Amino acid sequence: MPIEKSDLLQGTLDLLILKIVALGPVHGYGISQRIRQISKEVLQVQQGSLYPALHRLEKRGWLEAEWGQSSNGREAKFYKLSGKGRKQLASEESNWNRLAGAVSQILQTAH
Amino acid sequence: MSWWKFFLPKQASSAQLDSELRFHIEELTETNIAAGMSPDEARRRAILEFGGQEQVKEEVRDVYRVRIIDSAVANLKSAIRFIRKSPSFSATVIVTMALGIGANSAVFSAIDAILLRPLPFPDANQLVLVEQHNPKDPNFRTFVAPVRLEDWDRLNSTFQGLTGYYTEDVSESTGPLPEKVTRAWVSPRFFQVWGMSPTLGREFSPEEETLNGPAAVLISDRYWRRRFNADTSVVGKNLRLDGHLYPIVGVMPPSFLFPNRETDLWCPIPAGVSYGNARENNWFIVTGRLKPGVTVTHAQADLTTIQSQLGREFPKTDGDLSVTVDALKETTIAGSRRSLWLLFGSVSLLLLIACTNIIALLLSRATQRQHEIGVRFSLGASRGVLISQLLTETFALALIGSGLGLFLAAAASDIFRSLAAQLPRVEEIHLDTRIILYSLACSVAVTFFCGLIPAIRGTRGNLSGSLAQTSRSQVSGRNPLQWFLVGIQVALAVTLLAGAGLLLRSFQQLGRVSPGFDSSHVLSFQLSMNYGETGDLKKLRQFTDRILESLHATPGVEAAAISVGAPGVPLKYPAELKLVEGRADSEPKLMVDNRFVSASYFETMRIPLLAGETCLETEGPPTVVVNRAFADAYFKGKSVIGHHLQSINGMGYAGAAEIVGISGDARESGVDQPPVPTAYWCAPLAEPGTYFLVRTHNAPMTMAETVRRRLRNIEPMRSAYDFAPLEQRFSDALGENRLRTILLTFFALTAISLACVGLYGTLSYTVNMRQREVGLRLALGALREQIVKQFLLQGLAVASAGCVAGWGLAMASARVLSGMLYGVSPTDAATLSAVIFLVLLVAGIACLVPSIRAARVEPMQVLREE
Repeated sequence: MPIEKSDLLQGTLDLLILKIVALGPVHGYGISQRIRQISKEVLQVQQGSLYPALHRLEKRGWLEAEWGQSSNGREAKFYKLSGKGRKQLASEESNWNRLAGAVSQILQTAH
Repeated sequence: MSWWKFFLPKQASSAQLDSELRFHIEELTETNIAAGMSPDEARRRAILEFGGQEQVKEEVRDVYRVRIIDSAVANLKSAIRFIRKSPSFSATVIVTMALGIGANSAVFSAIDAILLRPLPFPDANQLVLVEQHNPKDPNFRTFVAPVRLEDWDRLNSTFQGLTGYYTEDVSESTGPLPEKVTRAWVSPRFFQVWGMSPTLGREFSPEEETLNGPAAVLISDRYWRRRFNADTSVVGKNLRLDGHLYPIVGVMPPSFLFPNRETDLWCPIPAGVSYGNARENNWFIVTGRLKPGVTVTHAQADLTTIQSQLGREFPKTDGDLSVTVDALKETTIAGSRRSLWLLFGSVSLLLLIACTNIIALLLSRATQRQHEIGVRFSLGASRGVLISQLLTETFALALIGSGLGLFLAAAASDIFRSLAAQLPRVEEIHLDTRIILYSLACSVAVTFFCGLIPAIRGTRGNLSGSLAQTSRSQVSGRNPLQWFLVGIQVALAVTLLAGAGLLLRSFQQLGRVSPGFDSSHVLSFQLSMNYGETGDLKKLRQFTDRILESLHATPGVEAAAISVGAPGVPLKYPAELKLVEGRADSEPKLMVDNRFVSASYFETMRIPLLAGETCLETEGPPTVVVNRAFADAYFKGKSVIGHHLQSINGMGYAGAAEIVGISGDARESGVDQPPVPTAYWCAPLAEPGTYFLVRTHNAPMTMAETVRRRLRNIEPMRSAYDFAPLEQRFSDALGENRLRTILLTFFALTAISLACVGLYGTLSYTVNMRQREVGLRLALGALREQIVKQFLLQGLAVASAGCVAGWGLAMASARVLSGMLYGVSPTDAATLSAVIFLVLLVAGIACLVPSIRAARVEPMQVLREE
């Protein structure tokens, strides 16, 4: 069953976006597609949360935006990670791993 | 991108956002087509999948919305609501702030205009005053010989130009009556040095600045308006000055008030013009404009080198001279600097008192609002939001207060100008944007100073407590912080009052001093003359004698005399004299203040003659009367009469003069200046600036018209002016002294009133809070006197602590006043005790009212209310 926005932990969407964008410049549509593909259709991001999140991250200076040509020749807004964003991603990633590790530890031992 | 977008906060333009979202939908459509749908169907599904486009856009825009402005507007709205909801509280705070900020801005406007701003000339920081003096006597600076000025100007490498001037009052007689005008004679380069040129007409031409060249005069804006009604065709008209015609060549701008605001005309003097031994005749005041980047010290070193060269070249006249260069602004304002900073200091203390008062008010307000704040906490407001809202309320009050304060400052600066007519540059004081910005800065500072503590304390997290209980019984009746603030107010008020008390006492002491002469019933005035007339001593003597005789013969006049410089007004002619009979090197040098008077001076001023006789006005060598201080200082136990005095550097009337008498000591150069050794050189020789003194039977000013008419008969071409009773000149001479005394007293009284309001308010509040307790105690049999006594003592204890602190502060700051006091020590115990007695008295009254009210509580009523 796909997990939609409301079920995602707060802040998780930001982490996912940062991670995807870290792979290389990408537009909004590309991000939503990649999240779906990589999570094997488990995670589906609503555009109503994706775009505000993208602009919020851009405003904070974690993402930089640039207009360019998409693979099929259309004008698209591409996002890429800034230096600040890279640091942010690293710290959020380690936070997430700690949290996830702690949660699975509890799930395994508390049978 | 258009240029103006740089000034907007970064945000997505709506066209860009549209195309970003459109791209997404188009990509979705293509994916759908690739999955085998028809284009229409693919597009429909894509739009459906994307969801509400408008909603997405709105949410993106939300990301960029600036929250601060929204919340500031909301805070302001609620602040205005708050002010309207509690008008009496707000009015108290606003009036207190208006007083504090207004008085502060008013004094600041004076400081700004007089001390901080450059003089009103282009690049005024390059302007300097250059004086010459004898290095053995650095305090005695003389004027400069025009020839020497030309030497300095030619030889220096640090000045753009040096120029000189002197002023005299002359008679202008093209009108029906002669009018006295003030003329400045200016050497070449005068207007270049000042960097000003005429608004109408032209400057002097080179021919007009050469010897025997054509005459010319530039007139001041003030004279142009007064005399010619601002007629633009004035250039080319003639003025008759002392009988000679001078064509007007131009009008100077209104801001050009140099050498002073009385100057009406400027006439050119040819370069280096002089008479007699040119290097000995010193009559120029010299100003210069430094080259860009040159410092005063640099210029001083340059001129000192030049002067020592001149000293080798002309050892007799220039050997003993050195040069001082001072920034013109410093010499203009130096005297008033301390007074102004003293006033600013005291007005800042006043603002501090006002602030502590407001803090106390806000604190008690915050306790009353605890319930409201508790509710808002529980509704989810964060502490930061609440603090910023409380601060906005204070800021709104401060803003209104400082606005009102500006009106106050405008009114005050008018009063200040009339009180402070003696201060330099006082005409430059006015309210402008700098003052408005200053008072705005004050209101921001006051907001944080006054608002922060109450806001932080008021929002301290005890929301559950304040919601659960009724507020009244929860609040402590002690509130130590408020009492501490009241104590500070009392302490500061005591400090200010002590300062004011000392100034008042010293004024009172001055009034008691006997000046050594009788200034009542003396009319003083001047007569227009020019320095050219001092060339012919015989004619001058005839002229002066004729006037004095005629004045003496006027009915209602007892005696008439002349004196160069009015008695009792600060003006000194100190110089070293030598004794013709010789004096041992071991004996002190004769440093003497010289006064030039007619023989009738002693009779007119009623200065007693202690020995010998008054001087004789013979045609022969002059005679001298010395005062007792002179005899005591230099001829202790020896006879002084019969010795001959002679000046060293050519000052006064040439030749040796015999000492014929000893007079009583008189405070010639100011009531606050003790008498110094003085020599009165007697000769009936008037010169420009000489005062005529007339002893009258009746009130002096009633004789002014008679005297004026009399003079018109014998000297129709001269104007008599500057009529004033001598006593008024005394009091004018103490003008700055009086100004700071009046203002400091005013500030101190305001301070003590504010402190009393603080005492009264805090005690009333305490009484209110403890009503229930008082009611209970009364019900249990306590006496009403005990209640009164208890509250009264609580208030007085704080006031006493404040007094002790204030005493310490006053002692610590006594140094500030030293030099401004006369006949009273800065730590005068009597004054301080009187001040403290006064403070305790009014503090007692301020405390009595709430204490009595406390005791009037009806026990049953209070207990029932609970």
